[in-house]
Amino acid sequence: MAEPTHNVIIGNGSAGNGAAITLRERDPDSRITIITMGSLPFYNRYDLPRVFRGCDDWREILVHPLAYYDDNRITLRRNSRVTDVDGRSRSITFAHNEVMHYDQLLVCAGGRGYLPEELSDYYGLMHGFHSFEAAITTRRALPEGGTVVMLGGDMIGLDLARTLIDVGYRVALLANEYTFWPHRIDADERGGFIAALEHMGIEVVDGMRPVAVEEGAAGTPARRVVFDDGGSLDGDVVMPFYGLVPTAEFMLRSGVDIERGLLVDPQLHTTDPHIWAAGDVCQIWSAADNEYRFYYGWTNVRQMGEVAARNVTGTNEPFEGVDDERLHIGKDGHILSPFWEH
Amino acid sequence: MSGRRRGEKESTVRPAPASGDGGVWYSDDPRDIGWVRENIPCQSACPAGTNIPGYIQAIMEKEYGRAYEINREANVLPGILGRICSRPCEDVCRHAQPGNGETVNICHLKRTASDLKHVGHRITESLYTPSGKQVAIVGAGPAGVAAAHDLSLLGHDVTIFERESDPGGMLRYGIPAFRLPRDVLHVELHNALRLGVELRTGVEVGSGEGQTPLTRLGKDFDAVLLSTGSMAPVTLPLKEGVGKDNPDSIEGVEYGLYFLMEMHRGEKKTVGKRVAVVGAGFTALDCARVAKRLGAEEVTIHIRTAEEYIPVTKDEIFECKREGVRIKGLRSPAQLSVDDGGRLRGIEFVQNRLGGWRENGRRAAIPIEGSEFFEPCDTLLIAIGQRTVNDYLDIKLELDRWGSVKADEGGQTSKKGVFAAGDYVSGPTTIIEAVGNGRRVAAGIDTWLMGRQRRRQVVRIEPVDGPLRERGFDFIERQHMPTAPLAGRNKELTREVETGYDEALAATESKRCYLCNLKYQIDVDNCIYCRACIEVAPKNCIKLVEGVEIREDGTYGELLETSEWDEVGAIWIDNNECIRCGACFMVCPTKCISITRNEFVTQDI
Ligand SMILES: Cc1cc2nc3c(=O)[nH]c(=O)nc-3n(C[C@H](O)[C@H](O)[C@H](O)COP(=O)(O)OP(=O)(O)OC[C@H]3O[C@@H](n4cnc5c(N)ncnc54)[C@H](O)[C@@H]3O)c2cc1C
Ligand SMILES: Cc1cc2nc3c(=O)[nH]c(=O)nc-3n(C[C@H](O)[C@H](O)[C@H](O)COP(=O)(O)OP(=O)(O)OC[C@H]3O[C@@H](n4cnc5c(N)ncnc54)[C@H](O)[C@@H]3O)c2cc1C
Ligand code: SF4
Ligand code: SF4
Repeated sequence: MAEPTHNVIIGNGSAGNGAAITLRERDPDSRITIITMGSLPFYNRYDLPRVFRGCDDWREILVHPLAYYDDNRITLRRNSRVTDVDGRSRSITFAHNEVMHYDQLLVCAGGRGYLPEELSDYYGLMHGFHSFEAAITTRRALPEGGTVVMLGGDMIGLDLARTLIDVGYRVALLANEYTFWPHRIDADERGGFIAALEHMGIEVVDGMRPVAVEEGAAGTPARRVVFDDGGSLDGDVVMPFYGLVPTAEFMLRSGVDIERGLLVDPQLHTTDPHIWAAGDVCQIWSAADNEYRFYYGWTNVRQMGEVAARNVTGTNEPFEGVDDERLHIGKDGHILSPFWEH
Repeated sequence: MSGRRRGEKESTVRPAPASGDGGVWYSDDPRDIGWVRENIPCQSACPAGTNIPGYIQAIMEKEYGRAYEINREANVLPGILGRICSRPCEDVCRHAQPGNGETVNICHLKRTASDLKHVGHRITESLYTPSGKQVAIVGAGPAGVAAAHDLSLLGHDVTIFERESDPGGMLRYGIPAFRLPRDVLHVELHNALRLGVELRTGVEVGSGEGQTPLTRLGKDFDAVLLSTGSMAPVTLPLKEGVGKDNPDSIEGVEYGLYFLMEMHRGEKKTVGKRVAVVGAGFTALDCARVAKRLGAEEVTIHIRTAEEYIPVTKDEIFECKREGVRIKGLRSPAQLSVDDGGRLRGIEFVQNRLGGWRENGRRAAIPIEGSEFFEPCDTLLIAIGQRTVNDYLDIKLELDRWGSVKADEGGQTSKKGVFAAGDYVSGPTTIIEAVGNGRRVAAGIDTWLMGRQRRRQVVRIEPVDGPLRERGFDFIERQHMPTAPLAGRNKELTREVETGYDEALAATESKRCYLCNLKYQIDVDNCIYCRACIEVAPKNCIKLVEGVEIREDGTYGELLETSEWDEVGAIWIDNNECIRCGACFMVCPTKCISITRNEFVTQDI
C-alpha cells in the first residue's frame, strides 16, 4: 500500500487548527501533523486576559478536550521549534536536529509581538502576554493594585487593559502610532479615541518616546521607563504592545517569496507548489488594493486555515477577508471594536 | 556517467610519502586539492580564499597575532574586513546547514584577531629579489592596494596614481567612520603599501588638462593596472515630471554616492527633517544612517523588492533599524514633486509586486498599474547602484555589453600590458571581491612580466593526534557582537557602533567552529565493521559504500552508498556531513580512524 500523504502544519493557532480539521474531513486517510513551539494544546489567545481574573489552570482555556487530537488522528508535536524548511527536498528541520518530511506543508506560524529595534536591548526587563505561561509570569510580577506601563497599546493590549482595570490594577499607556493597531485611525478621530481610553480608566501619556527601560531604584516600583527628553515613568511591569509581525524567519531559506510575511496568492498558495500559508504569517495578494496585505483578527484567520486546507485537497477557492475597520465608541463612552467580538 | 569508475575500491587512507617532514607532507594530487575545495565551505566561498578554520583555531589558542597573519596572507586587510566584509563565507558555513544551528561569526572573529593581537605585533613577509620591472596602478581602492602589496612583495617597483588626496577608495570616501574607524584604515593601508610602493595622490589619470594620460603610463611602465572602481551613480529612472532626466538638479535631491564622498572630503553636508533614501545596498544604508546622525527626524529607505533581498548583512540592517531608520518594501519612485520654490516636497511611488529572479541574481519587482501613492519628504538620496566610467581612457579597450572593460583570467585587457581589476571590471561588488580579484590579477601580471608562473597552490597535510573539539562545543549559542549604547549614537558621526569581542567572547565563539580543515578517515584495512562509530555518530556522516566516484578531473565525486553487506567496499566518512565532533574517533576499538589537517599553502615553482 502506498504511504498516505503527509500533511504538515506549522502552527497550533486558529489557522493551524482550522486547517487540520478541514484536512481531516476532506482526506480521512492522510497523515496530519501539527507542530508548535508552545507547550499547550490549542487555546484561544483572546482568552488570555482571564489569567488576570485568577485563571491558573491551562485546561480551562483549551478549545478542545484533550482527546480531540487522538480522536481526529492528528499528531501534535509540542515544544518543537522549526528552524528551517527546505522546499526542494520537502523537509523541515527542528531546533533539536530532527528532520521531518512533508508532502504538503501549511505554514500557520502566526505573528509575534513587535518590539521596535531601538528597544531590543531592554527585552529582558519587559513582561510578555504572548502565551499562557507569559501571562502567568506577568501576573505574578504584579503586586495587588500594581501598575502596568503599556508601551504602544495595540488592540491586544487594550483588551488586556480593560480586564486589568476591572480587577483593580492601574494601567499607564504610552500612546503612539501603534495605539489601536491593527485599526488605522484618522488624525482627526484620534483625540476622541484617546479621550475614550481615559474615560475607561486608562492613564494615557501621549507623544512621549521611550528610549530605555531600567530596574527601579530601591523603594520604588520595579521598573522605570525613560523618555528621550530625560523624563520617566515608574511601574511594576512594562509590557510592549506594538502590534504583531509575522513569524517567518525559519522560512528564509525555504525558497518561497517573503516580504514581511509569506507572500501568497488569494488561494493562499506560496510560490512553492507544495507550500501554503494561512493566518497572521501571510500577506495575501489583493487585486482590489493592488498590494499584498494582512488580514488580522481571529475570524479571518480561522477562515484562512479552512480555505488553505480545502485548496491543499483540490479546490481552488480564493480567501475573502472580512475587512472590518470600524473602531467606535459605545454608549457608555468606551471603545468598541470588531476585533474584540469573539 | 563519464569518469565514474563504479565500484572501484579506492584506498581510503593514503599513507604519507616517505619524504614527509615530521609527518607533514605536501600534495598536488587532484583528490587532495578537490577535498579542500569542497569540504571547507567558508574558505571556498571567500573570494580571497582566506584560511578560516586556520585562523579560528589560532584564536582558540589565543594566538591572535598568528590569526592576524593567516588572514593577512590571503586578504591583506583583516582589521578592515573584520568590520565591514559582506561575509559570503557565513552564508555557507557548515554550522548553518539545516540541523546544525547558526553560522559561526567568522567575520567578528577576523576582527578579533586584529583587535586582540599584541600591540607590538610585527608583520612578517618574505620578499622576492627585485625584478627591475615597473608597474603603474591607477586607483588606490582595495583592488589596487591588494595588487600593489602582492606585486611589491614579488619584487616589482610599484607606483600608484590616485586622484583623491588619500588612498583607500570607497573604504575612505564611501564608508562612514562609525562602521570603519579611520585609524584602523590608516594602519592597514600603510602596512599594505610599506614595502616600497610609491603612492602619488592628487594625480588624476585622464586626457584632460593637468591630468596624466594613460598612454604615458604605458610608455613609462612595464605594466599598467586599472583599478578605478565604479565611480558613477546610476541615474534614477523616473516616469515623467520634474527632474525626469536630472533629478539631482532639484533642491533637496542628491545622489547618495556623491553625498557620502563630499562629506568624506570634508564638506559640510545637511539634510531635511524627513529624509527618503531610495536603494537597497551598502550605500543606501550608509546614507540613511548618516542622515540620522546629521539630525534628520524621520529616515525611510524605500526598496523595490523586500528586505530579505537587500544584499547587505543582517546585522547591518538590524543596527540601521535600531537607530530608528525605517525600511519600506515593494515600491519604486515614479515622479518627484516640488513646491512653488522648486524644492522637493515628496515622491510619488508606484506599488510593486515580486517577480522572478533576474539574470544578475536579484529579484525582479513588477510595478502595478494605477497603484501610485505619495509620500512627503524634504531630502531624497538616490542610491540605486553604481556604474563604471571609461572616459578617462585615451586608448581603446574592448568593453562588454554592460560597458565594463573586458579582461581575461589573468586580468589582461585587449591591450597587451594593460590589466584591470576590482569593481572597474566587475561593476560594483564588495571589498573582499575587489581584494581577491586584485590579488589574482597581481599574480597574472607577475606571470606576464616574468614569462612564467612563479607560485602555485598545494595542500599541506599534517596528522593530528586527536579531536580538537568536544561535542559540547556544538551546542554553544552564537555570540553577538557588542555595540555602543543607542543613547547618543545618532549624535556622533565617527563613533564606532560595533565595539568588538573581548577575549572571553572570542574564546567562546571560536569553539563553535567545526574546524572543517580536519579530515576524518577510516582505514578500511583495519576496520572490523563493528559499527560502533555509526552508533555514536550525531549525523548521517559515516556511510557504508560500494565505492566512490572519481571525476574526470581526478577529484572525488559522489559516494555510492549501499545497504547490502556483501557489496560494502568501504566504510566511509562523508566529510560534508561530518561536524568534526570526534565521537567516532573516541569510540573506535581498533583506532582505525585518523585525522589530518588539510590546508592550502603557496609554494614556489
Ligand atoms: C495575546 C493575543 C491576544 C489576541 N487577542 C485577539 C483578539 O482579542 N481578537 C482577535 O481577533 N485577535 C486577537 N489576537 C490575534 C489573533 O489571535 C491572531 O490573529 C490569531 O491567533 C492568529 O492565529 P494564527 O493561527 O495565524 O497564529 P497563532 O495563533 O499566533 O499561532 C502560531 C503558532 O505557530 C507556532 N510557531 C510559530 N513559529 C514556529 C516555529 N518556528 N516552529 C514551530 N512552531 C511555530 C506557534 O507555536 C503557534 O502554535 C490576539 C493575539 C495574541 C497574541
Ligand atoms: C557607501 C559605500 C559603502 C560600502 N560598504 C561596503 C561594505 O560594508 N562592505 C563591502 O564589502 N563593500 C562595501 N562597499 C563596496 C566596496 O567599497 C567596493 O566594492 C570596493 O571599494 C571596490 O574596490 P575597488 O578598488 O575596485 O574600487 P574603489 O574602492 O572604488 O577605488 C577606486 C579608486 O580609484 C580612484 N580613481 C578613479 N578614477 C581615477 C582616475 N581617473 N585617476 C586616478 N584615480 C582614480 C578613485 O578615487 C578610488 O580611490 C561599499 C561601497 C560604497 C560606495
Ligand atoms: S564551521 Fe568553521 S570551518 Fe566549517 S564552514 Fe563554518 S567557519 Fe568554516
Ligand atoms: S567526527 Fe565522526 S562522529 Fe563526529 S560528525 Fe564527524 S564522522 Fe560523525
